[in-house]
Amino acid sequence: MSLTKPSLAQTVLKQFWFKLKSLAGMISSLIMLQLIGLLFALGASSNFYTGSDGVFDLQISYYSADLVVVFTMLWGFISAITMKTKAYREDDFVFVTNRLSSNLSNIAYLLAASVIGGVTAILSGYLLKVVIYLLFESTPIIHTGLTDSLVELLSGMLAASLFIFMFAGAGYLVGTLVQLHKAFTYITPVAVIGFILLSDRISDGHLLAEVGEFYFNEASLWLLSVKTLVTAGLLLAGSIGISQRLEVKT
Amino acid sequence: MNVIKCTDLTKSYGQQKALDNLSVTIEENKITGLVGRNGAGKTTLLKILAGFWRVSSGEVNVFSRKPFDNLFVSANTMFVDDQMNFPTALTLKEILEQAGRFYDNWDMELAERLFDYFSFRPGQNYSVLSKGKKSTFNMIVGLCSRCRLTIFDEPTTGMDTAVRKDFYRALLKDYLAHPRSIIISSHHVDEVEEVLEDVLLVESGQKFLHMPIEDLKEYAIALNGPSEDVNKWRRDREVLHTKTAGNNTYAVVTNDFEQHELEQINLAGIDMSSVSPGDLCVYLTDRAKGGIDDVFDKA
Repeated sequence: MSLTKPSLAQTVLKQFWFKLKSLAGMISSLIMLQLIGLLFALGASSNFYTGSDGVFDLQISYYSADLVVVFTMLWGFISAITMKTKAYREDDFVFVTNRLSSNLSNIAYLLAASVIGGVTAILSGYLLKVVIYLLFESTPIIHTGLTDSLVELLSGMLAASLFIFMFAGAGYLVGTLVQLHKAFTYITPVAVIGFILLSDRISDGHLLAEVGEFYFNEASLWLLSVKTLVTAGLLLAGSIGISQRLEVKT
Repeated sequence: MNVIKCTDLTKSYGQQKALDNLSVTIEENKITGLVGRNGAGKTTLLKILAGFWRVSSGEVNVFSRKPFDNLFVSANTMFVDDQMNFPTALTLKEILEQAGRFYDNWDMELAERLFDYFSFRPGQNYSVLSKGKKSTFNMIVGLCSRCRLTIFDEPTTGMDTAVRKDFYRALLKDYLAHPRSIIISSHHVDEVEEVLEDVLLVESGQKFLHMPIEDLKEYAIALNGPSEDVNKWRRDREVLHTKTAGNNTYAVVTNDFEQHELEQINLAGIDMSSVSPGDLCVYLTDRAKGGIDDVFDKA
Protein backbone atom coordinates (compact mmCIF):
# COMPACT_ATOMS: atom_id res chain seq x y z
CA MET A 1 0.00 0.00 0.00
CA SER A 2 1.21 3.44 -0.81
CA LEU A 3 1.20 6.47 1.40
CA THR A 4 -1.37 9.00 0.33
CA LYS A 5 -0.53 12.67 0.10
CA PRO A 6 -3.53 14.84 0.85
CA SER A 7 -3.72 18.51 -0.04
CA LEU A 8 -5.31 21.02 2.30
CA ALA A 9 -7.70 22.33 -0.33
CA GLN A 10 -8.93 18.86 -1.27
CA THR A 11 -9.43 17.92 2.34
CA VAL A 12 -11.37 21.08 3.10
CA LEU A 13 -13.58 20.46 0.08
CA LYS A 14 -14.26 16.85 1.14
CA GLN A 15 -15.08 17.98 4.65
CA PHE A 16 -17.38 20.67 3.32
CA TRP A 17 -19.47 18.13 1.39
CA PHE A 18 -19.33 15.81 4.37
CA LYS A 19 -20.73 18.59 6.55
CA LEU A 20 -23.51 19.44 4.11
CA LYS A 21 -24.75 15.92 4.79
CA SER A 22 -23.84 15.46 8.41
CA LEU A 23 -25.10 18.85 9.57
CA ALA A 24 -28.44 18.54 7.79
CA GLY A 25 -30.11 18.97 11.17
CA MET A 26 -29.02 22.58 11.20
CA ILE A 27 -30.99 23.37 8.07
CA SER A 28 -34.12 21.76 9.45
CA SER A 29 -33.75 23.78 12.65
CA LEU A 30 -33.45 26.88 10.44
CA ILE A 31 -36.77 26.08 8.79
CA MET A 32 -38.42 25.52 12.17
CA LEU A 33 -37.09 28.82 13.50
CA GLN A 34 -38.19 30.77 10.47
CA LEU A 35 -41.68 29.29 10.69
CA ILE A 36 -41.88 30.33 14.33
CA GLY A 37 -40.63 33.78 13.32
CA LEU A 38 -43.37 33.97 10.69
CA LEU A 39 -45.97 33.04 13.27
CA PHE A 40 -44.90 35.96 15.42
CA ALA A 41 -44.83 38.24 12.38
CA LEU A 42 -48.49 37.52 11.69
CA GLY A 43 -49.32 40.31 14.07
CA ALA A 44 -48.70 43.57 12.21
CA SER A 45 -45.47 45.15 13.35
CA SER A 46 -47.12 48.56 13.29
CA ASN A 47 -50.63 49.88 12.90
CA PHE A 48 -51.40 53.39 11.90
CA TYR A 49 -54.88 54.84 12.28
CA THR A 50 -56.01 58.11 10.88
CA GLY A 51 -59.13 59.95 10.05
CA SER A 52 -62.40 59.33 11.81
CA ASP A 53 -64.25 62.41 10.58
CA GLY A 54 -67.24 60.15 10.07
CA VAL A 55 -66.58 59.62 6.39
CA PHE A 56 -63.23 57.97 6.09
CA ASP A 57 -61.54 55.64 8.44
CA LEU A 58 -58.01 54.74 7.45
CA GLN A 59 -55.97 52.00 8.95
CA ILE A 60 -52.49 51.19 7.69
CA SER A 61 -51.04 47.90 8.84
CA TYR A 62 -47.43 47.18 8.24
CA TYR A 63 -46.38 43.56 8.05
CA SER A 64 -42.78 42.59 7.79
CA ALA A 65 -40.67 39.53 8.19
CA ASP A 66 -37.86 41.48 9.86
CA LEU A 67 -38.36 39.27 12.86
CA VAL A 68 -37.52 36.25 10.71
CA VAL A 69 -34.22 37.86 9.78
CA VAL A 70 -33.49 38.52 13.45
CA PHE A 71 -34.36 34.94 14.34
CA THR A 72 -32.11 33.72 11.56
CA MET A 73 -29.21 35.75 12.90
CA LEU A 74 -29.81 34.17 16.28
CA TRP A 75 -29.87 30.79 14.56
CA GLY A 76 -26.52 31.54 12.93
CA PHE A 77 -25.06 32.42 16.31
CA ILE A 78 -26.37 29.31 18.04
CA SER A 79 -25.56 26.95 15.15
CA ALA A 80 -21.95 28.11 15.16
CA ILE A 81 -21.69 27.42 18.90
CA THR A 82 -23.27 24.00 18.40
CA MET A 83 -20.70 23.17 15.73
CA LYS A 84 -18.00 23.61 18.32
CA THR A 85 -19.62 21.37 20.94
CA LYS A 86 -17.91 18.07 21.44
CA ALA A 87 -20.48 15.96 19.62
CA TYR A 88 -20.12 17.88 16.35
CA ARG A 89 -16.53 19.05 16.68
CA GLU A 90 -15.15 15.56 16.80
CA ASP A 91 -17.18 14.25 13.88
CA ASP A 92 -14.42 15.57 11.65
CA PHE A 93 -11.74 13.65 13.36
CA VAL A 94 -12.91 10.14 12.54
CA PHE A 95 -11.71 10.86 9.05
CA VAL A 96 -8.77 12.72 7.52
CA THR A 97 -8.35 16.15 9.01
CA ASN A 98 -6.24 18.60 10.89
CA ARG A 99 -7.37 21.59 12.91
CA LEU A 100 -6.95 24.07 10.08
CA SER A 101 -8.92 22.04 7.56
CA SER A 102 -11.59 21.42 10.16
CA ASN A 103 -11.93 25.13 10.91
CA LEU A 104 -11.85 26.14 7.25
CA SER A 105 -14.53 23.66 6.30
CA ASN A 106 -16.64 24.81 9.25
CA ILE A 107 -16.33 28.39 8.05
CA ALA A 108 -17.23 27.40 4.50
CA TYR A 109 -20.27 25.59 5.86
CA LEU A 110 -21.31 28.58 7.98
CA LEU A 111 -20.99 30.85 4.96
CA ALA A 112 -23.18 28.54 2.88
CA ALA A 113 -25.69 28.21 5.71
CA SER A 114 -25.77 31.99 6.15
CA VAL A 115 -26.59 32.47 2.47
CA ILE A 116 -29.36 29.87 2.70
CA GLY A 117 -30.64 31.56 5.85
CA GLY A 118 -30.45 35.04 4.33
CA VAL A 119 -32.23 34.11 1.10
CA THR A 120 -35.02 32.20 2.85
CA ALA A 121 -35.46 34.90 5.48
CA ILE A 122 -35.98 37.57 2.85
CA LEU A 123 -38.28 35.35 0.79
CA SER A 124 -40.32 34.55 3.89
CA GLY A 125 -41.51 38.18 3.79
CA TYR A 126 -43.48 37.37 0.64
CA LEU A 127 -44.84 34.19 2.15
CA LEU A 128 -46.01 36.24 5.12
CA LYS A 129 -47.97 38.60 2.90
CA VAL A 130 -49.55 35.77 0.96
CA VAL A 131 -50.59 34.01 4.16
CA ILE A 132 -52.06 37.18 5.60
CA TYR A 133 -53.98 37.95 2.42
CA LEU A 134 -55.37 34.45 2.01
CA LEU A 135 -56.13 33.64 5.61
CA PHE A 136 -56.65 36.81 7.58
CA GLU A 137 -57.24 40.06 5.73
CA SER A 138 -58.72 40.02 2.33
CA THR A 139 -58.15 43.72 1.87
CA PRO A 140 -55.84 44.38 -1.03
CA ILE A 141 -52.19 44.68 -0.20
CA ILE A 142 -50.92 47.96 -1.50
CA HIS A 143 -47.27 47.18 -1.46
CA THR A 144 -45.91 43.64 -1.35
CA GLY A 145 -42.29 44.41 -1.89
CA LEU A 146 -42.47 42.27 -5.00
CA THR A 147 -42.46 45.43 -7.04
CA ASP A 148 -38.94 46.06 -5.77
CA SER A 149 -36.37 45.74 -8.47
CA LEU A 150 -34.37 42.55 -8.63
CA VAL A 151 -31.28 44.44 -7.53
CA GLU A 152 -33.05 45.56 -4.37
CA LEU A 153 -34.21 42.03 -3.66
CA LEU A 154 -30.74 40.61 -4.16
CA SER A 155 -29.06 43.27 -2.08
CA GLY A 156 -31.55 42.54 0.70
CA MET A 157 -30.60 38.90 0.54
CA LEU A 158 -26.91 39.71 0.49
CA ALA A 159 -27.17 42.04 3.47
CA ALA A 160 -29.18 39.53 5.47
CA SER A 161 -26.69 36.76 4.65
CA LEU A 162 -23.77 38.94 5.71
CA PHE A 163 -25.39 39.80 9.04
CA ILE A 164 -26.15 36.16 9.71
CA PHE A 165 -22.57 35.24 8.84
CA MET A 166 -21.26 37.90 11.20
CA PHE A 167 -23.36 36.50 14.03
CA ALA A 168 -22.21 33.01 13.13
CA GLY A 169 -18.64 34.26 13.41
CA ALA A 170 -19.37 35.56 16.90
CA GLY A 171 -20.94 32.23 17.85
CA TYR A 172 -17.94 30.37 16.48
CA LEU A 173 -15.60 32.43 18.63
CA VAL A 174 -17.74 31.80 21.72
CA GLY A 175 -17.81 28.08 20.94
CA THR A 176 -14.04 28.05 20.59
CA LEU A 177 -13.55 29.94 23.84
CA VAL A 178 -15.73 27.42 25.65
CA GLN A 179 -13.55 24.69 24.20
CA LEU A 180 -10.52 26.48 25.62
CA HIS A 181 -12.09 26.47 29.06
CA LYS A 182 -15.57 25.57 30.23
CA ALA A 183 -15.66 28.67 32.42
CA PHE A 184 -16.18 30.77 29.29
CA THR A 185 -19.78 29.53 29.18
CA TYR A 186 -20.57 32.04 31.93
CA ILE A 187 -17.59 34.38 31.62
CA THR A 188 -18.59 35.37 28.06
CA PRO A 189 -22.14 36.62 28.74
CA VAL A 190 -21.03 38.28 31.98
CA ALA A 191 -18.14 40.01 30.22
CA VAL A 192 -20.33 41.20 27.34
CA ILE A 193 -23.09 42.55 29.59
CA GLY A 194 -20.56 44.05 31.98
CA PHE A 195 -18.80 45.78 29.12
CA ILE A 196 -22.06 47.26 27.85
CA LEU A 197 -22.98 48.56 31.32
CA LEU A 198 -19.53 49.95 31.91
CA SER A 199 -19.39 51.76 28.58
CA ASP A 200 -22.81 53.26 29.30
CA ARG A 201 -21.54 54.73 32.52
CA ILE A 202 -18.39 56.29 31.15
CA SER A 203 -19.75 57.71 27.91
CA ASP A 204 -22.84 59.57 26.79
CA GLY A 205 -23.92 57.28 24.01
CA HIS A 206 -25.40 53.84 24.42
CA LEU A 207 -22.99 51.17 23.23
CA LEU A 208 -25.63 48.82 21.81
CA ALA A 209 -27.34 51.65 19.97
CA GLU A 210 -24.06 52.79 18.51
CA VAL A 211 -23.03 49.33 17.44
CA GLY A 212 -26.46 48.82 15.93
CA GLU A 213 -26.12 52.14 14.15
CA PHE A 214 -22.68 51.19 12.85
CA TYR A 215 -23.78 47.90 11.32
CA PHE A 216 -27.50 48.04 10.67
CA ASN A 217 -27.97 51.64 9.57
CA GLU A 218 -25.38 51.49 6.85
CA ALA A 219 -26.89 52.76 3.63
CA SER A 220 -24.12 51.67 1.31
CA LEU A 221 -24.13 47.99 0.48
CA TRP A 222 -20.42 48.08 -0.17
CA LEU A 223 -19.58 49.58 3.18
CA LEU A 224 -21.94 47.17 4.86
CA SER A 225 -20.23 44.25 3.15
CA VAL A 226 -16.83 45.48 4.21
CA LYS A 227 -17.93 46.09 7.82
CA THR A 228 -19.60 42.71 8.30
CA LEU A 229 -16.97 40.69 6.46
CA VAL A 230 -14.08 42.32 8.28
CA THR A 231 -15.82 41.73 11.62
CA ALA A 232 -16.61 38.11 10.77
CA GLY A 233 -13.05 37.65 9.49
CA LEU A 234 -11.57 38.94 12.75
CA LEU A 235 -13.86 36.75 14.86
CA LEU A 236 -13.06 33.66 12.82
CA ALA A 237 -9.34 34.35 12.66
CA GLY A 238 -9.41 34.70 16.44
CA SER A 239 -11.17 31.34 16.69
CA ILE A 240 -8.59 29.63 14.49
CA GLY A 241 -5.81 31.23 16.52
CA ILE A 242 -7.29 29.98 19.78
CA SER A 243 -7.92 26.49 18.51
CA GLN A 244 -4.26 26.22 17.49
CA ARG A 245 -3.45 26.29 21.19
CA LEU A 246 -5.63 23.28 21.93
CA GLU A 247 -5.13 19.57 21.56
CA VAL A 248 -6.57 18.27 18.31
CA LYS A 249 -9.13 15.94 19.85
CA THR A 250 -10.01 14.60 23.26
CA MET B 1 11.87 1.33 7.64
CA ASN B 2 10.54 2.57 10.94
CA VAL B 3 6.95 3.73 11.02
CA ILE B 4 7.20 5.05 14.53
CA LYS B 5 10.13 6.44 16.40
CA CYS B 6 9.73 7.93 19.85
CA THR B 7 12.65 9.39 21.75
CA ASP B 8 12.31 10.37 25.42
CA LEU B 9 8.64 10.97 24.87
CA THR B 10 7.00 12.64 27.86
CA LYS B 11 3.42 13.77 28.28
CA SER B 12 2.60 15.45 31.53
CA TYR B 13 -0.50 16.97 33.06
CA GLY B 14 0.78 19.28 35.75
CA GLN B 15 2.82 17.11 38.07
CA GLN B 16 1.45 13.88 36.72
CA LYS B 17 3.31 12.15 33.93
CA ALA B 18 1.18 9.99 31.68
CA LEU B 19 4.24 9.13 29.62
CA ASP B 20 7.69 9.32 31.12
CA ASN B 21 10.73 9.33 28.84
CA LEU B 22 9.40 6.62 26.61
CA SER B 23 11.62 5.61 23.71
CA VAL B 24 10.41 3.05 21.26
CA THR B 25 10.79 2.19 17.61
CA ILE B 26 8.24 0.24 15.64
CA GLU B 27 9.11 -1.22 12.30
CA GLU B 28 6.96 -1.16 9.23
CA ASN B 29 4.34 -3.84 8.55
CA LYS B 30 4.28 -5.42 11.97
CA ILE B 31 1.40 -6.16 14.25
CA THR B 32 2.35 -4.86 17.65
CA GLY B 33 0.40 -5.46 20.82
CA LEU B 34 0.43 -2.57 23.25
CA VAL B 35 -0.06 -4.04 26.68
CA GLY B 36 -0.23 -2.49 30.10
CA ARG B 37 -2.42 -2.07 33.14
CA ASN B 38 -5.14 0.52 33.41
CA GLY B 39 -3.58 3.97 33.47
CA ALA B 40 -0.20 2.77 32.25
CA GLY B 41 -0.24 5.30 29.40
CA LYS B 42 -1.41 3.15 26.50
CA THR B 43 -4.14 5.45 25.23
CA THR B 44 -1.97 8.52 25.76
CA LEU B 45 0.74 7.01 23.60
CA LEU B 46 -1.72 6.01 20.89
CA LYS B 47 -3.41 9.42 20.78
CA ILE B 48 -0.03 11.09 20.45
CA LEU B 49 0.85 8.74 17.60
CA ALA B 50 -2.46 9.51 15.90
CA GLY B 51 -1.68 13.23 16.12
CA PHE B 52 -4.48 14.11 18.53
CA TRP B 53 -2.35 15.13 21.50
CA ARG B 54 0.84 17.13 21.57
CA VAL B 55 3.91 15.92 23.41
CA SER B 56 5.23 17.73 26.46
CA SER B 57 8.82 16.93 25.68
CA GLY B 58 10.87 14.49 23.66
CA GLU B 59 10.36 13.62 20.06
CA VAL B 60 7.89 11.50 18.19
CA ASN B 61 7.94 10.67 14.50
CA VAL B 62 5.33 8.84 12.50
CA PHE B 63 6.25 8.27 8.84
CA SER B 64 9.27 10.46 9.70
CA ARG B 65 7.01 13.42 10.49
CA LYS B 66 5.73 14.96 13.66
CA PRO B 67 2.20 13.60 13.92
CA PHE B 68 0.54 16.39 15.89
CA ASP B 69 -2.11 18.13 13.80
CA ASN B 70 -0.48 16.76 10.67
CA LEU B 71 -2.69 16.25 7.64
CA PHE B 72 -0.33 13.74 6.04
CA VAL B 73 -0.21 11.59 9.15
CA SER B 74 -3.98 11.88 9.52
CA ALA B 75 -4.53 10.66 5.97
CA ASN B 76 -2.36 7.60 6.52
CA THR B 77 -3.39 6.76 10.05
CA MET B 78 -6.60 5.21 11.29
CA PHE B 79 -7.38 5.42 14.97
CA VAL B 80 -10.15 3.16 16.23
CA ASP B 81 -11.42 3.30 19.78
CA ASP B 82 -14.78 3.11 21.51
CA GLN B 83 -15.13 6.91 21.53
CA MET B 84 -15.49 7.23 17.78
CA ASN B 85 -17.91 9.95 16.86
CA PHE B 86 -19.96 9.48 13.77
CA PRO B 87 -22.45 12.14 12.72
CA THR B 88 -25.89 11.23 13.97
CA ALA B 89 -27.47 12.53 10.78
CA LEU B 90 -25.84 9.82 8.68
CA THR B 91 -26.92 6.22 8.32
CA LEU B 92 -24.36 3.44 8.63
CA LYS B 93 -24.22 3.05 4.87
CA GLU B 94 -23.64 6.76 4.39
CA ILE B 95 -20.83 6.69 6.95
CA LEU B 96 -19.10 3.99 4.94
CA GLU B 97 -19.53 6.04 1.75
CA GLN B 98 -18.06 9.11 3.43
CA ALA B 99 -15.13 7.10 4.77
CA GLY B 100 -14.52 5.97 1.21
CA ARG B 101 -14.29 9.57 0.04
CA PHE B 102 -11.68 10.39 2.66
CA TYR B 103 -9.39 7.37 2.49
CA ASP B 104 -7.72 6.65 -0.82
CA ASN B 105 -7.12 2.97 -0.08
CA TRP B 106 -10.65 2.36 1.16
CA ASP B 107 -12.03 -1.04 0.16
CA MET B 108 -15.76 -0.63 -0.27
CA GLU B 109 -16.32 -4.18 -1.42
CA LEU B 110 -14.80 -5.62 1.74
CA ALA B 111 -16.68 -3.07 3.83
CA GLU B 112 -19.98 -4.15 2.33
CA ARG B 113 -19.24 -7.83 2.79
CA LEU B 114 -18.29 -7.35 6.43
CA PHE B 115 -21.32 -5.12 6.85
CA ASP B 116 -23.60 -7.90 5.66
CA TYR B 117 -21.76 -10.62 7.55
CA PHE B 118 -22.21 -8.84 10.87
CA SER B 119 -25.84 -8.20 9.87
CA PHE B 120 -25.91 -4.44 9.94
CA ARG B 121 -28.75 -2.73 8.12
CA PRO B 122 -27.85 0.12 5.74
CA GLY B 123 -30.49 2.49 7.12
CA GLN B 124 -29.51 2.03 10.76
CA ASN B 125 -28.20 4.88 12.83
CA TYR B 126 -24.91 4.53 14.68
CA SER B 127 -26.21 6.01 17.90
CA VAL B 128 -28.81 3.29 18.41
CA LEU B 129 -26.31 0.44 18.09
CA SER B 130 -25.34 -1.57 21.14
CA LYS B 131 -21.84 -1.24 22.54
CA GLY B 132 -20.61 -4.43 20.90
CA LYS B 133 -22.22 -3.51 17.60
CA LYS B 134 -20.56 -0.10 17.69
CA SER B 135 -17.19 -1.73 18.25
CA THR B 136 -17.89 -4.07 15.35
CA PHE B 137 -18.78 -1.19 13.07
CA ASN B 138 -15.69 0.76 14.17
CA MET B 139 -13.62 -2.29 13.33
CA ILE B 140 -15.07 -2.41 9.81
CA VAL B 141 -14.17 1.25 9.27
CA GLY B 142 -10.72 0.63 10.75
CA LEU B 143 -9.93 -2.36 8.57
CA CYS B 144 -11.37 -1.12 5.30
CA SER B 145 -9.61 2.25 5.41
CA ARG B 146 -6.41 0.25 4.83
CA CYS B 147 -4.29 2.98 6.38
CA ARG B 148 -0.58 2.40 6.50
CA LEU B 149 -0.74 2.80 10.25
CA THR B 150 -3.85 1.37 11.83
CA ILE B 151 -4.34 1.78 15.56
CA PHE B 152 -6.92 -0.16 17.53
CA ASP B 153 -7.33 1.04 21.11
CA GLU B 154 -9.24 -1.64 23.02
CA PRO B 155 -11.13 -2.61 19.88
CA THR B 156 -13.13 -5.49 21.28
CA THR B 157 -14.98 -3.58 24.02
CA GLY B 158 -18.43 -5.09 24.33
CA MET B 159 -17.99 -7.66 21.56
CA ASP B 160 -19.13 -11.19 22.30
CA THR B 161 -16.68 -14.07 22.04
CA ALA B 162 -17.73 -15.08 18.55
CA VAL B 163 -17.34 -11.57 17.17
CA ARG B 164 -13.98 -11.16 18.90
CA LYS B 165 -12.71 -14.29 17.22
CA ASP B 166 -14.09 -13.11 13.89
CA PHE B 167 -12.44 -9.76 14.39
CA TYR B 168 -8.98 -11.16 14.99
CA ARG B 169 -9.38 -13.52 12.07
CA ALA B 170 -10.51 -10.73 9.78
CA LEU B 171 -7.63 -8.58 10.96
CA LEU B 172 -5.10 -11.29 10.25
CA LYS B 173 -6.50 -12.15 6.85
CA ASP B 174 -6.63 -8.56 5.72
CA TYR B 175 -3.17 -7.94 7.09
CA LEU B 176 -1.75 -10.87 5.14
CA ALA B 177 -3.38 -9.62 1.94
CA HIS B 178 -2.41 -6.00 2.56
CA PRO B 179 0.49 -5.74 5.00
CA ARG B 180 0.57 -2.57 7.06
CA SER B 181 1.58 -1.47 10.52
CA ILE B 182 -1.01 -2.29 13.11
CA ILE B 183 -1.00 -1.49 16.81
CA ILE B 184 -3.57 -3.12 19.04
CA SER B 185 -3.87 -2.17 22.66
CA SER B 186 -5.60 -4.66 24.83
CA HIS B 187 -6.00 -5.92 28.35
CA HIS B 188 -6.56 -9.39 27.05
CA VAL B 189 -3.12 -10.39 25.87
CA ASP B 190 -4.00 -14.05 25.67
CA GLU B 191 -6.78 -13.24 23.28
CA VAL B 192 -4.69 -11.21 20.83
CA GLU B 193 -1.56 -13.28 21.31
CA GLU B 194 -1.96 -15.30 18.15
CA VAL B 195 -2.11 -12.32 15.81
CA LEU B 196 0.75 -10.40 17.41
CA GLU B 197 4.33 -10.33 16.23
CA ASP B 198 5.69 -7.94 18.83
CA VAL B 199 4.63 -6.96 22.30
CA LEU B 200 5.23 -3.57 23.83
CA LEU B 201 4.59 -3.55 27.54
CA VAL B 202 4.26 -0.16 29.21
CA GLU B 203 4.02 0.57 32.90
CA SER B 204 3.77 3.96 34.62
CA GLY B 205 4.32 5.70 31.30
CA GLN B 206 7.57 3.90 30.63
CA LYS B 207 8.56 1.15 28.30
CA PHE B 208 8.79 -2.03 30.30
CA LEU B 209 9.73 -4.35 27.51
CA HIS B 210 9.43 -4.57 23.75
CA MET B 211 10.12 -7.95 22.18
CA PRO B 212 8.75 -10.50 19.74
CA ILE B 213 5.87 -12.49 21.18
CA GLU B 214 7.84 -15.71 20.67
CA ASP B 215 10.56 -14.44 22.99
CA LEU B 216 7.99 -13.36 25.52
CA LYS B 217 6.58 -16.86 25.61
CA GLU B 218 10.06 -18.15 26.51
CA TYR B 219 10.80 -15.31 28.88
CA ALA B 220 9.75 -17.03 32.07
CA ILE B 221 9.02 -20.45 33.42
CA ALA B 222 6.77 -21.60 36.25
CA LEU B 223 8.04 -24.03 38.88
CA ASN B 224 5.54 -25.86 40.99
CA GLY B 225 6.47 -28.28 43.76
CA PRO B 226 7.56 -28.65 47.38
CA SER B 227 8.61 -25.25 48.72
CA GLU B 228 12.03 -26.44 49.78
CA ASP B 229 12.97 -27.66 46.32
CA VAL B 230 11.45 -24.75 44.47
CA ASN B 231 13.19 -22.24 46.73
CA LYS B 232 16.51 -23.86 45.97
CA TRP B 233 16.10 -23.23 42.26
CA ARG B 234 14.61 -19.82 42.48
CA ARG B 235 17.51 -18.48 44.48
CA ASP B 236 19.76 -16.13 42.48
CA ARG B 237 17.05 -15.74 39.90
CA GLU B 238 14.55 -13.04 39.25
CA VAL B 239 11.29 -14.19 40.77
CA LEU B 240 8.32 -12.61 39.06
CA HIS B 241 5.58 -14.23 41.01
CA THR B 242 5.16 -16.68 43.86
CA LYS B 243 2.23 -18.31 45.50
CA THR B 244 2.58 -20.60 48.49
CA ALA B 245 -0.10 -22.95 49.66
CA GLY B 246 0.87 -25.15 52.58
CA ASN B 247 4.11 -26.78 51.71
CA ASN B 248 3.73 -26.16 48.03
CA THR B 249 5.20 -23.24 46.13
CA TYR B 250 4.40 -21.97 42.68
CA ALA B 251 7.09 -19.61 41.42
CA VAL B 252 7.51 -17.84 38.13
CA VAL B 253 11.15 -17.12 37.39
CA THR B 254 13.03 -15.79 34.39
CA ASN B 255 13.95 -18.60 32.10
CA ASP B 256 17.72 -18.63 31.92
CA PHE B 257 18.20 -22.25 32.89
CA GLU B 258 20.72 -24.40 31.11
CA GLN B 259 19.49 -27.63 29.60
CA HIS B 260 21.12 -29.78 32.31
CA GLU B 261 19.55 -27.64 35.01
CA LEU B 262 16.14 -28.17 33.52
CA GLU B 263 16.74 -31.90 33.63
CA GLN B 264 17.73 -31.72 37.28
CA ILE B 265 14.62 -29.73 38.12
CA ASN B 266 12.55 -32.32 36.37
CA LEU B 267 14.24 -35.12 38.32
CA ALA B 268 13.62 -33.28 41.61
CA GLY B 269 9.91 -33.74 40.95
CA ILE B 270 9.15 -30.09 40.27
CA ASP B 271 6.52 -29.41 37.65
CA MET B 272 7.64 -27.00 34.98
CA SER B 273 5.19 -25.15 32.85
CA SER B 274 5.23 -22.25 30.48
CA VAL B 275 3.71 -18.95 31.45
CA SER B 276 1.19 -17.39 29.11
CA PRO B 277 2.15 -13.91 27.87
CA GLY B 278 -0.99 -12.54 29.50
CA ASP B 279 -0.10 -13.82 32.95
CA LEU B 280 3.49 -12.85 32.47
CA CYS B 281 2.57 -9.25 31.71
CA VAL B 282 0.48 -9.14 34.85
CA TYR B 283 3.32 -10.57 36.96
CA LEU B 284 5.85 -8.19 35.48
CA THR B 285 3.75 -5.14 36.19
CA ASP B 286 2.57 -6.45 39.56
CA ARG B 287 6.02 -6.51 41.04
CA ALA B 288 6.13 -2.81 41.69
CA LYS B 289 2.82 -2.76 43.45
CA GLY B 290 2.59 -6.22 44.92
CA GLY B 291 -0.42 -8.36 44.17
CA ILE B 292 -3.98 -7.99 45.40
CA ASP B 293 -3.18 -10.58 48.08
CA ASP B 294 -0.85 -8.09 49.76
CA VAL B 295 -3.70 -5.68 50.26
CA PHE B 296 -5.57 -8.24 52.31
CA ASP B 297 -2.56 -9.80 54.00
CA LYS B 298 -1.49 -6.54 55.56
CA ALA B 299 -4.93 -5.83 56.89
